[in-house]
Amino acid sequence: MAPDEDAALLPGLRAGDEAAFRALVRRHHMRLVRLATVFTGARARAEEAVQDAWVVVVTSLGNYSGEAPLGAWIAGIVVNKARTRAARDGRVVSFADMARAEAEGPALEPERFMPDGHWAERFGAWSALTPEREAGDRQLLSRVGEALDALPPAQRAVVLLRDVECQEPAAICAALGISEANMRVLLHRARVRLRDAAAALVEPEALPKRSTFGKRA
Amino acid sequence: MPTCQEVAENATEYLEGAMPRRERFAVWAHLRICPNCRNYLRQLMRTVSLTRRAGASDPPPPPQEEDRLVAAMKAARASRSD
Repeated sequence: MAPDEDAALLPGLRAGDEAAFRALVRRHHMRLVRLATVFTGARARAEEAVQDAWVVVVTSLGNYSGEAPLGAWIAGIVVNKARTRAARDGRVVSFADMARAEAEGPALEPERFMPDGHWAERFGAWSALTPEREAGDRQLLSRVGEALDALPPAQRAVVLLRDVECQEPAAICAALGISEANMRVLLHRARVRLRDAAAALVEPEALPKRSTFGKRA
Repeated sequence: MPTCQEVAENATEYLEGAMPRRERFAVWAHLRICPNCRNYLRQLMRTVSLTRRAGASDPPPPPQEEDRLVAAMKAARASRSD
């Protein structure tokens, strides 16, 4: 996200400038549909919810304080609209129940550790992941995108709001009706899975032969 | 001092700055002597920026869809300012 680019659109948006609306829709719409789908299930309903949200955005820009990035503010409106839409369609899923169920058990499989709590695997630095590669490796980004879409719904909602929309934890908890502790557990589980997805494509730096971690003489 | 498993399970709490001071110090002390956990946490941090890129790299909506949305936005704004 580039909150600064959005901020530059604000005067145009407030003045009702069509070019500013277009720029905003181009930049955010598809991502917001992805977010709304967490709540509505079907993509068509998510698209309707996001359209409703766009209407709210342009008619309530006067309420936008500028404290959060514009994208994060819009994402909050999308969550509200998507949840309302899901409730109207009879998708009575308690997000809090789902969030609790998804947070049960450890985030990392116990088999990944030795009985004494040391890692059973080793991690080399991701020095091959240069900023250029991070921005331009389509295969890597689409692998992470697929892993994102495959996450269980509550984890997907939290990681989209926190790591993609850059919302503050308090705003996420208020929008989803969950505790901060619960939110962090979900965020952690999501990040662990996304890291594993990325690790399949990022070659780690070669490790020294002798173990230099954990137990030391 | 926490084990690697405990550090890994609580990594997001640590990275998000949500850990109480004592526990935070214990994790920091572990990371000082454990390159494996250091690399794992760094990978998690890189994953956050990869996720941001991946989530934001969606193509724009099809032109017809864009036209429809912008028309709805203009209509809503116009009816509000009437």
